Amino acid sequence: MSEVLEFCNVGKSFPGVRALDGISFTARAGRVVALLGENGAGKSTLLKILSGDLRADEGDIMINNEKCTFNAPFDSIKSGVSVIYQERQLVSSMSVIENIYSGDLPCDKFGFINKREMHRTTQDIIDKFGLPIQPGELVGRLSVAYQQMVEIMKAYRRNSKIIAFDEPTAALTDAEVDILFRLIRQLRDDGKIVIYVSHRLAEIFQVTDEIVVLKDGRHVKTLVTQETNEQELITAMVGRDIGDTYKNLSRNDKYGEVVLEVNNLVTDAVHDVSFKLRAGEVVGFAGLVGAGRTEVMRAIFGADPVLSGEIKLGGTVTEFKSPKDAIDCGIALCPEDRKEDGLVLFRSILDNICLPVFHKMKKGIVLDIDKQNKLAISAVNRYSIKTPTVDKTVMELSGGNQQKVILGRWTSELIDTKVLILDEPTKGIDVGTKAEVYQMVCDFAKQGIGVIFISSELTEVINVADTIIVMHNGHITGTVGREHATEESVLALAMLD
Amino acid sequence: MESVRGLRKFIRSKTFTLIILVIIIWAFFTIVSGGAFIKLINIRNILNSMVVTSFLTVGAVFLMICGYIDLSTSMIGSMSGVVVAIFLTNLGLPWVLAVLLALAMSGVIGLFNAFLINGFHFQPFIATMAISSVVQGLTMVTCGVTAIPITEPLMVKIGTARIADAVPYTIIASLAVISIYGFILSKTNFGKNIYMIGGNPRAARLSGLNPSRTSYILFLNNALLGGFGGILLSFRLKAGVVGSVANSQFAGMTGAILGGVSFGGGSGGMGGAFVGMLLLNGFNNGLTVMGVPPYWQTFASGALLLIALSFDYLAMKKTGRTNPF
Repeated sequence: MSEVLEFCNVGKSFPGVRALDGISFTARAGRVVALLGENGAGKSTLLKILSGDLRADEGDIMINNEKCTFNAPFDSIKSGVSVIYQERQLVSSMSVIENIYSGDLPCDKFGFINKREMHRTTQDIIDKFGLPIQPGELVGRLSVAYQQMVEIMKAYRRNSKIIAFDEPTAALTDAEVDILFRLIRQLRDDGKIVIYVSHRLAEIFQVTDEIVVLKDGRHVKTLVTQETNEQELITAMVGRDIGDTYKNLSRNDKYGEVVLEVNNLVTDAVHDVSFKLRAGEVVGFAGLVGAGRTEVMRAIFGADPVLSGEIKLGGTVTEFKSPKDAIDCGIALCPEDRKEDGLVLFRSILDNICLPVFHKMKKGIVLDIDKQNKLAISAVNRYSIKTPTVDKTVMELSGGNQQKVILGRWTSELIDTKVLILDEPTKGIDVGTKAEVYQMVCDFAKQGIGVIFISSELTEVINVADTIIVMHNGHITGTVGREHATEESVLALAMLD
Repeated sequence: MESVRGLRKFIRSKTFTLIILVIIIWAFFTIVSGGAFIKLINIRNILNSMVVTSFLTVGAVFLMICGYIDLSTSMIGSMSGVVVAIFLTNLGLPWVLAVLLALAMSGVIGLFNAFLINGFHFQPFIATMAISSVVQGLTMVTCGVTAIPITEPLMVKIGTARIADAVPYTIIASLAVISIYGFILSKTNFGKNIYMIGGNPRAARLSGLNPSRTSYILFLNNALLGGFGGILLSFRLKAGVVGSVANSQFAGMTGAILGGVSFGGGSGGMGGAFVGMLLLNGFNNGLTVMGVPPYWQTFASGALLLIALSFDYLAMKKTGRTNPF
């Protein structure tokens, strides 16, 4: 019998937010169904309800016409649902076998764990998917991609009928994505129901059969993948046409002096990197995840040690021992991982904006609260951060607004930023806000700031940056001007060996 | 406008709830004890019982808000109290020198704690637990378990003298320390840095703050305060005794957590910690006044903490934050 998963009128509210509203759709065995929508559209909430992590306020989930009540992830697993999250749910200090069997170890009649059977079954599953993994390997020693494969095998071993993926390709290289897609197709052909959540349109066209588009917690429409195109999807997602985003950018075309010059920089992860950045210029750094772009920036910023090479700021050689030194000289870094490296999540917007300049806002020995308020409010207005007050914690903001808080921090009146480093500034941000961020990047350049724009999204980096530097494996493999850059040429450099 | 907003914020705050709770508990004990509880002499007892605890708590609150913990403070305090007695009585040093030397020794241990944590990346919990045993052991090796008497009249006077024959100087000192440190924490740049580092040390460092230097300052400060508390206790007991400060540290931490100082760093404040201590010490004192055996006090401080944490959890759940810890 073929399996059917149905969402019937599922609704969920959080304080002040209607996260899901009357979501109904059906997923069938042997089909890959994409859940597509901007950030905040409700995709993650829906997955969490499916996995039993959250409870729906109204509506039902039906599996094979049977109503399911999931009070905890355990219930959902028992009903044959496996959700594979972005953050892997594996124990890295244990072997592949133990992870595949975690929570459900097979025992012999004496109650001892049957290791031989575990080993054999694990090997069978690995062979079935044709992966180069040893069953006894520690999961922590596998690459991110293979850890994900272990998760898939775990779901397969549990004999899950429904397997859902939450942005599975976020940290994978192209080659790894191909393996993942092969596995997903194999699951589909085995008669599983596969649900696939992603931002990346190209992938959705490669691997899915149907697309469920969500917007603001509502189900906008369901499309058959083969009968639609990117333009139609984007329009459905954002409700407007953003095809001309890049053409409409108002750019800076007057460059000043060289503000930053890096010569033969070497660190643990980076070899012989040299480049120049002029005032008012946007230099893009393209490359695959792990190409060493973040590491270059951290070294320039004084966050990681420099082994050799020189960094010149406005013509003078500098040596930064800590980020503080770099900040004092006018360098600012918006890190890739906003939550880990950028924000103090449960402090207020005000605190996060004023973070690097508190020491400049003293009145006698105490901090001047009026000055802080003024600074924070001006940043909130300038970037139209959506919040009623600056006292709200940044945890309560969407990804896009969190990014704006960090931008506000580094472009306040009390900081004289000459070099602004943006590491994946549009990661996890919805399509509409992305366009805003691109314009902001150009505006920074117009103010005479030298901007470094790191991005793994090729389209974005070759369309926003004036000069594109491509990195691979810790080396710079090429430098291209925007007018000559094509996705193909940059990608070729990014994968060069 | 601003003050109205401030008032509303205060009424919603945890400190305000705790103040109400303190009032209820104090009222309860007053009624049950037939008025004996609320007499000035008993209030003085409560504050007196908080003196040494205050010194230990103030340093611990700073560390906890910054995301650190120091389990060795009580042993540093004991050591300091014992060595000051040795310097005074056995070696006959002048009192200023004796006190300064004892504080210097405490400070060195505090810096060493910070060194282990920053230099070797030890977990603060483990590093300071080890140091705690080391310090306790060394103190016992030096003086055994016998108390070393302090007879120096001035010292004894400092420990017990009262203003206008009513309020002990030590109470004034402890209240002053709480106020000064509360001011630093809530009003100054340094205090703000402590909150931001405690909230996210990596983000703070990448924004130009210096978590490692801050931790050195806080561990040093905590050890000095602990050492000072230990010295003060020795003066009051008229003797240096090993382990004299042992209970104060956990009483202080319990009070701080009761008052909303988060164990993970980044939130809480001195006002809350002070009210937390008032709650705990008032409760214990009330039990004593009612003639409940002292063992129940130990039970009660644990129970109070569990109840407070449960309320926290329920409040967070109501606002939709499912994972408060």
